[in-house]
Amino acid sequence: MSAAEALEQLDLQYPEELPRVTTREGVELYYESRGEGPALTLLNNFFITSPLWRAFTQDLVRDFRVVSYDLANHGQSSKLDKEPTWEEHAADLIGLLDALGIESTYLVATSASTQLARDVALAHPDRVKGLVLAGPVFGLTGMRRHRQLNRAWLLTLKNHGMAALYGHIYPEVISGEMNEEGGTPGFLGFREAFLAMSTPEELANGLALVQEGDTSPELLSRITAPTVIVLGDDDILLTPSRGHELAKLFANGRCEIMTNAGHVPFLDDPETFQSIVRRFVEETEAHV
Amino acid sequence: MSDTAAITTDEVKQRIRELLADLFGSDRSVSDVPDTVSLREAGLPSTALVSLLVAMEDAFGFEWDDDVEPEVLRSIESLAGHVVALRG
Repeated sequence: MSAAEALEQLDLQYPEELPRVTTREGVELYYESRGEGPALTLLNNFFITSPLWRAFTQDLVRDFRVVSYDLANHGQSSKLDKEPTWEEHAADLIGLLDALGIESTYLVATSASTQLARDVALAHPDRVKGLVLAGPVFGLTGMRRHRQLNRAWLLTLKNHGMAALYGHIYPEVISGEMNEEGGTPGFLGFREAFLAMSTPEELANGLALVQEGDTSPELLSRITAPTVIVLGDDDILLTPSRGHELAKLFANGRCEIMTNAGHVPFLDDPETFQSIVRRFVEETEAHV
Repeated sequence: MSDTAAITTDEVKQRIRELLADLFGSDRSVSDVPDTVSLREAGLPSTALVSLLVAMEDAFGFEWDDDVEPEVLRSIESLAGHVVALRG
């Protein structure tokens, strides 16, 4: 399926009955669980909601149990007085796995949620079979570039609103090829999806949280779970050669480059992305 | 439809409704949506809007601009108002 076909099938609607599980006192998470087999749990960054994943995981659902959920304080999960910390987001994920009877899972993370995947893999290595890090936010020596980007986005949101934020982010995270192919109708159509997925408050909370947490690259070397970095060759944060260098920091890591893809590579080429995930999971399962 | 022909808001709305019927004919909740109701709330998938925007470019002989406000894309009425304003 091409990017255009996947985007045409993008359905952000929630079902009438909202399946939710309690993960902590006062916190219920909306979730979707499709398919059977080894579990893949999808971690939202702070711009997307659970339904978005449907269009980009249709192949994986045939052979795996694919679980997505809304982070606390976002989408159809509980609204809280205070934005959760990274530790609370990690606790929510473990609570979700417990509630769904998932002993261990592969984590599929995108952009800012690669930091959450890192933290969960470090704190709960027995629950994580492997990591798929799409467009990771880690640098070889730190995370300054990602944090500066997020600070700039937060300023745009606060000073100029959601549509301006979208106009700021789009050329940075969407590949040049996808941008040209979609043209203005593609830009405007995806803006509708962007505006439908979050409120300004939700984005401001997420963009603020992204400024926090340990930025040390040494943390990556402590991760024992097999890890694949999926990197677009048009990613704003890492060049392909740096992606391969980053993978070497992990105890058991490798990097797969997706041609003409940007910071969110599954948007550009859902088919190739899913084939990379499938191959990684099948190879890892074969070694278990 | 000629680029230079005078066109009323009602004619544009009717043409947009025809485009919606062509694109989403099987889903009458979209093609029959009232003029002022949000297309998103009527069930038009956000990115299916892309197909409508492309069809409008062809039908009305103009090109969308990245700077168009989100409110313009909200409903059949707001879309029609944009076309009429462009056509002077």
